[in-house]
Formats: sequence, C-alpha cells, structure tokens
Amino acid sequence: MSKSLTGYPRADGRVGFRNQVLVMPLHSALCATARRISEESAAVAITHDWSGEIDADFARIFKVMTGFAANPNIFATIFLTLGTPGELEIIDKSKSIGLSNSTIVNVSEIGSMELLYEIALKEAISYLALADQVARVSVPWSSLHLGLECGGSDALSGITANPALGVASDMLVELGAVSVLGETTEILGAEHLLAARALDPNVGKQIIETVARYERSINYEGIDMRGAQPSRGNIEGGLTTLEEKSLGAAKKAGSAPFTGVLEYADPAPKPGLYFMDTPGHDIEQLTGFAAAGINIVVFTSGRGTPTGSAVVPTIKVSTNTQMALSIPDLIDLNAGTIADGTQTLREVGELIFNEIVDVANGKLTAAELGRHQEFSLSRMYGTQIN
Amino acid sequence: MRSLLILNTIDNIAVALADLESGSIIEQDGLQIEVLNQIPRGHKIATKPISKNEGVIKYGERMGHATSDIKVGEHVHTHNVLGDRLSAEQVK
Repeated sequence: MSKSLTGYPRADGRVGFRNQVLVMPLHSALCATARRISEESAAVAITHDWSGEIDADFARIFKVMTGFAANPNIFATIFLTLGTPGELEIIDKSKSIGLSNSTIVNVSEIGSMELLYEIALKEAISYLALADQVARVSVPWSSLHLGLECGGSDALSGITANPALGVASDMLVELGAVSVLGETTEILGAEHLLAARALDPNVGKQIIETVARYERSINYEGIDMRGAQPSRGNIEGGLTTLEEKSLGAAKKAGSAPFTGVLEYADPAPKPGLYFMDTPGHDIEQLTGFAAAGINIVVFTSGRGTPTGSAVVPTIKVSTNTQMALSIPDLIDLNAGTIADGTQTLREVGELIFNEIVDVANGKLTAAELGRHQEFSLSRMYGTQIN
Repeated sequence: MRSLLILNTIDNIAVALADLESGSIIEQDGLQIEVLNQIPRGHKIATKPISKNEGVIKYGERMGHATSDIKVGEHVHTHNVLGDRLSAEQVK
C-alpha cells in the first residue's frame, strides 16, 4: 500500500481525478449541439430528455443536474441554455455546490443554432487549453469518493468480482476514503446483514427503513418484481431469487462498518462506507453517484455492460473469464480467475485497489477510451423497479 | 479443477464452476453427488435434500424457499425455488 494519489484540488476543498470540460445542455432541444461539440473536441457532453418541466420529479432532477454539473472531476462546465429563469437557478446552484469555472451560451441571445455550436465549441477549446496547463498535485485518501456498482450480474458476481471489490473497498475505507454502495433493489433480502454493520444503531434503522420504504412503494404499485428482478439475464446466469442477487451484490461493500445512509445523489459528509438509496438501473445509479460528487466508480459485470460516465471514470471488472475474453475492450480487470482457481480473492482485491489508484492518477479506463458518456435522469415513475 | 463451489458449510446448495452433465458423479470435499439434470456453469445444485417450503441456504443465509421437494444432485433454480420477498404470492 505504498501507492499515493494525485489529483486536482478544487476551490471548495473537493478533489478531481480528471480535469474535464463538460458541455451541459439545460434543455433537451440543445442536446444535439452538445453531442456535436464532444465529437469535435476533447470536451465531454451529456444528453437527456428533460425539457424544463416542473413536475413531481423536479426536485430530483434539479439535484441531479446541479450536482452533476459541479462534479469535482470537472474543470469547467459550459451550459447551453434557452435563457429561462429556471436554467439560471440550476447554474447558480451548481456554483454554490463548488463549480468554479463556467460559461453560459444562450441560444435565444445568439439567435442561431449554428452560431450556438460555434461559440460553445470555441469556449470548450479555450477551457481545454487552460485545463491542460493545470498540474496534478499530491492529494489525501479522503479526497477519493468511490462508487460501488454492479450490472449484468451472474451467479459468479457474488463469488468473484463483488467480494474482490469488497476487499478493495475495505482497504480504501481503512485509509480514510469514502466508499458508497447503491442499488436499494439489490440489498433487499440482505439489509439485515448490512444494518448489523452500522456504526450507530440509527444508521442500521435507516438502512432497514430505506428498504422497507422501497418495498412498500412496490407493493403499493402492485408490481410483481419477479419480472424485473432478478432480470432475465440474471436468471440465465444462474441467479434464482432477488435475495440471492442481493446477498451477492452486498459483497461489493466488503466488511467495513456503515457510517451513514445517503438519499439519492446526496454527497457523503465525511470519510467512511455509506449506503445510497438509488434505483437499480445502471445509468441512473451512475448518474446519481456523479451528482453526489463521487469521483471514481468500480462496476462489476458478469454479462458485459459498456456503461460509462462523461465525468466519472468507471472501471469494469468482469466476474468470469469468458466475458473478459469475449469483449476485451469493455473490461479493465478480470476477477473470473478466482473461480478458475488461478488467483485468490485477496490477490484480485489488491489488483482492483491498484487499478483504482492508477485510474485516479490518470490511467484511462476502457469506458473512457470507448468515449462512453451515458447519462439518465431518474424519475420516480416508471423506472424505479428496473 | 473443482467443479463445485460450496460457500458456507451450512448451505444446502453449491455453485457449479463448470457445466455439469446429467448422470455424472462429483466427488469433492467429502461429498459424493450424482448429478440428476444438466446444470449450466454458475447455476446451483442441491448438496442436501430440501423439503417443500424449506429455506434454500446460500452464503449461510436464506435466499428463498423450495416450492417442491428437491433431491441431492438436482438443479436448484426458478422451477423449484421462490424468493420469500416481493414475489407474486405477496403482491396483492
């Protein structure tokens, strides 16, 4: 564990491990322009389907948009706007969270979509040049906020990649980092085991209550979860029940005690291991992590999932060797060697730890090299069970 | 190469580390099991008899219950196991 971290300290004390220039459209109509800029430059962009509606989901959308635009891996955010007061509220909130460099490019003032593109591209290029001049400096372990995610789980997930990630998570928590487990759907049936590891009995109660709240909402909707969880792919992979999937998914959080429970997209207030109430949907979870200021994610997958974020490097760990060999440019590390009998859990856990540190220090992930920049707004209706 | 992974001594299932052929005999960890069905890699095989409604135990924890009697060597999956939580019988 002689490794150390380097990054980009931000004015508010948070730390980035990337120095991204993000193009952030604040209306669905401006997303094509944002995408075009990311294709023409090294800037990253998101696209979404939100058109400024103020509905029951607005508070959730507002929290995600503002937190995402202010993720510490961002050097500067260029907001594409229609010029509405609601957009200014989002921008002001992003600045109050910690975004220091930003520009607004307003199509209503410019009066041309083509000029919007040209002006915003020019802004991106000049921010990129400035970002390149910033040098990395040594940063403490507490600046690392790790997100733990799994997607496309198979029966080996809970035996290989997830417990190996748990080893790496425990090492980081021990050093003073933040580690966040998400996916409420995927701790259902294992919540009593997590609650028993709470530092404070109230945290244990919150873990139980978060799952109970979710379970009530599902029962209220009259949804038969068997169609969604475990998913058809999970069942083909050998997972039979939701509890079985949860027992394996929870292994990602190792054996450290739980410091707290976070609402969706809320940042961790101090070092330690947390549980965040997120949807099971991979991209909504990843987006919520980014909005919470998480700066590195490790994503375990049995069936291969290309998901990546515009602003958070996402390390893919394969649960089985076949997957790692079949689509090698999706996968950063193979934990299938544990089932093959060629490496131990501890050895793979240490490899994941080293990979996290290398990626934090600048090594590009497979998802970054593939320019995966997925983004999805979580709404309380329709997507919650997925 | 081991063909089964037993995660906890109190478990009544093991995970297949390779595709298991029906009729083959597995001898491992003091167990001798005749495989009763084709069982794909990653799927579960009963290592102890499990009665209808009895808990199915993996990682030393209950992951659901048997919906029919399950013999040693049988494939343990959605056709003979149901979760205890959020399954159709609970949702009205």
